[in-house]
Amino acid sequence: MFLHGSISAPHPPFPGLRLSPGRAHGRQVAMAASSSRGGEGYPLTISDEKLESRGFAVRRGAEGLELEELNAVFVAVGFPRRDPERIRVALEHTEAVVWLEQRKTRRPVAFGRATGDGVFNAIIWDVVVDPSFQGIGLGKAVIERLLRELLGKGISNIALYSEPRVLGFYRPLGFVADPDGIRGMVYSRKHKKK
Amino acid sequence: MWLANESRIPSSSSSPSPSHTCIINSHQLSECCVGWTRVTRIISHILTMLTLNLNAISSSSVLFLNLLHRTNADTLSLLASSLVFVSDHNLFTVMLSPLVAATRKFKSFQLKAGFWESIKSGLMKNNTTQVIDPPSVDEEDEEPLPQEFVLVEKTEPDGTIEQIIFSSGGDLDVYDLQALCDKVGWPRRPLSKLAAALKNSYIVASLHSIRKSPGSEGNEQKRLIGMARATSDHAFNATIWDVLVDPGYQGQGLGKALVEKLIRALLQRDIGNITLFADSQVVEFYRNLGFEADPEGIKGMFCYQL
Repeated sequence: MFLHGSISAPHPPFPGLRLSPGRAHGRQVAMAASSSRGGEGYPLTISDEKLESRGFAVRRGAEGLELEELNAVFVAVGFPRRDPERIRVALEHTEAVVWLEQRKTRRPVAFGRATGDGVFNAIIWDVVVDPSFQGIGLGKAVIERLLRELLGKGISNIALYSEPRVLGFYRPLGFVADPDGIRGMVYSRKHKKK
Repeated sequence: MWLANESRIPSSSSSPSPSHTCIINSHQLSECCVGWTRVTRIISHILTMLTLNLNAISSSSVLFLNLLHRTNADTLSLLASSLVFVSDHNLFTVMLSPLVAATRKFKSFQLKAGFWESIKSGLMKNNTTQVIDPPSVDEEDEEPLPQEFVLVEKTEPDGTIEQIIFSSGGDLDVYDLQALCDKVGWPRRPLSKLAAALKNSYIVASLHSIRKSPGSEGNEQKRLIGMARATSDHAFNATIWDVLVDPGYQGQGLGKALVEKLIRALLQRDIGNITLFADSQVVEFYRNLGFEADPEGIKGMFCYQL
């Protein structure tokens, strides 16, 4: 189940996020201290140069990203189109943004971003790959670079919400669903019990 | 918004028992005020509100019906009424304060004294059968959440007053926070990182206890007893982290209040997607607050590739 399979004992309990009062927080501090995969050490399946040779430029940050073109990718994968102004605000308050630009057309073909508190936790949102460019490793390239950037800052608690049909995409990248029974929950007004 | 609290609102006809927790009404009353803009909606809601199932209300409950109306056909016509029902057992508080602004376009709303008298006496008779759901309240109609307010006030037998203050301003001492994390048994995190995490959080909600002894001439003890924070991109998503309540104050609904107010603050800032990750034993706690686990099969995943 875990990628770095030299560990025969079960992986240590999930560090982070104890939302119940009184419950032990886990080994977050120890994990952060022993993290050896931060920054440049994080492996990339396809290098920046290789992507470049295939016609894709790796872009970091929102500069140069045309928001309506990003919206076009969102719509193409079935996400709702969003108000570009709100996207602009969101990106201003997003810690890490990685996207791949097709050199020929100068359009974004893959995108992902991560928000968080900058020290402990981060959540990856809005990972999209234009359907015409899926299946060639671009999504993986985006995630790996996001992880590299976050781990480089020492953030060891990285999470995301995955639609059921792409659980298989995230698993080989090292993501585990519901570890230790931790459940992702979303607030829904209509479900609120009064 | 309907409040169910573990407290009793003191009324004019009974003095609050000193060992009971009393709610400070002012802020909560104002929170419950709903701005109504249409006369017909007012009328229908008032009429439905006034037929209530009073079976749950015990003999010591207090009902006061306070109606104000001004009938001024030419300008604005305001109708405010508040109904407060307090029952011994479930302490169900219903507050309705509709405000009507009627312009010349609407028929002015004139209430006859006799009409209200008859309704009032009908209520007192305790003979109604219909259970009424409180009218649905649009979040947008609610008063904005004040940044800081008294959540609970308790008077102890010796006269000491303890107030629990909620604040969404994020002004909490990082040393206090570390002490609180120690108290609940969380491993130590570096102070500088704690400070940075708070600074980078979109909203930091806190609960402080302020205790004033009688005759202490203004000396008060202030302690941090709870915290919850949310990170956000300020536009679409927010995630709640680190919800904690001092063990000495747990079991009183403070954690619930903390999270509820945090959610409300986020909703008022127009954040549509509020998320969190819950340990298995608190999934139910958050479900009761309106969270859904794995909506549409969407799963929370964590990166173990560290």
